[in-house]
Amino acid sequence: MLSPFRVLHPTTIEEASSELARLGDQAVIYAGGAELVLLIRNGLIQPDYLVNIKRIPGLDGISSNNGEVRIGTAVTHRRLETDPVIHARLPALAEAESHVGNIRVRSQGTLGGNLCFADPHADPGTALLVYDASVEIGGANGGRQLPLAEFLVGTYETALQPGELLTEVRVPPLADGWRAAFLRIERFYRPTANVAAALSVREGKVDAVRLAVGCVGPKAMRLTELEGQLHGASLQEADRMLRDSKPYLTEKLEPVSDLLGSAGYKITITSVLLARALEQAAQGNGGAH
Amino acid sequence: MIDELERGVKTLETTSVTITVNGTPWKGEIPVEDVLLDVLRSRVGLTGTKRGCESEVCGACTVLVDGAPISSCSYLAFEADGKAVTTVEGLADGDVLDPLQDAFIRNVAAQCGYCTPGQLMAAKALLEDNPSPTYDEIAHWLTGNICRCGCYPAIATSILEVAAEKRA
Repeated sequence: MLSPFRVLHPTTIEEASSELARLGDQAVIYAGGAELVLLIRNGLIQPDYLVNIKRIPGLDGISSNNGEVRIGTAVTHRRLETDPVIHARLPALAEAESHVGNIRVRSQGTLGGNLCFADPHADPGTALLVYDASVEIGGANGGRQLPLAEFLVGTYETALQPGELLTEVRVPPLADGWRAAFLRIERFYRPTANVAAALSVREGKVDAVRLAVGCVGPKAMRLTELEGQLHGASLQEADRMLRDSKPYLTEKLEPVSDLLGSAGYKITITSVLLARALEQAAQGNGGAH
Repeated sequence: MIDELERGVKTLETTSVTITVNGTPWKGEIPVEDVLLDVLRSRVGLTGTKRGCESEVCGACTVLVDGAPISSCSYLAFEADGKAVTTVEGLADGDVLDPLQDAFIRNVAAQCGYCTPGQLMAAKALLEDNPSPTYDEIAHWLTGNICRCGCYPAIATSILEVAAEKRA
């Protein structure tokens, strides 16, 4: 039994924004409910209003515009897992989406809901970071755009301000010759650790690379310092550098020991996953682009 | 039944819904916070769908909404307005069981049987999506349907057999 609430069904972003601004802490955004209903059931939140954004036209589409892929906030994980545009242009995201929860969660939950809940134990954000994704935010004063890396602020914390909502995720194409891969391990339902790598190789050496890790730190994040160090390394050297990156990862991710594993275990497994993801991306196993 | 849990707090808002359940329209006024599981069990009167973990993990409450499997324990019922819901009661055609039900019986794919309605509905959705799944594809799809009796091999065998029957 859920604590009672009212449901509002705005039909424009502006209307949703003004309701959210008016109701403040009394309202929460409802974009699928895969996480939200659980929070209400367990008494962690008791909202007076759900602002259902799924009836706003245009928030549930996937389009490709000059190579840039635009994903509406209300697109479900299942759609992302199976959509041909996502498979062709963002295969590492398709791979990450295929691991979200289970088939029922993927049918119900949305990308926007997942990113805004900002649970560090989530998959889509990690994959999106190596694609340099950004998010479009709607609000009373019009829209604004933020890199996803800045949108994700911390555990269960995003850059959304009162009255704002995530409306779209924009993903620029990887340049020709780049390839990406996503890997994760889990003991239970949510991932214990996940990584994504995007890579461009020139004459057997790392020309450019992007690396992201989720679950192990307070939020999914890019490993920019490590990326810089790998520039110009041979694939063999890069593999060794990633496996030896544990001190850096520990300092960067500040892991905690919990039921999923000790901090040391998480760091070790992350360094291994990073090396494997780089190898997969280099071999093209993570798919083209 | 909602009666069995006693609604402890007063509903703030109700809404009128028409849900096609197993092919038959059901119309009613429901609290907006009611989940589909409760509406199916206590309002529509179909108790085949089981309450399990109430956390979207176990799959006992799996039903299909417009063909997609969802956790009815965590799916707000107002969302099903205008949609088609299929529960385990909708599988058989009168006394003629669905091939999946026949295969589950033949292979003893249930012991206590509590998870079985959910397993069947997940399996039904899988075969609609992928008529010829591999064992690994079955395992991946059913990863969210827990059977504590451990009938997984028999469940997977049943699905493989039904897929083969349909191909023949």
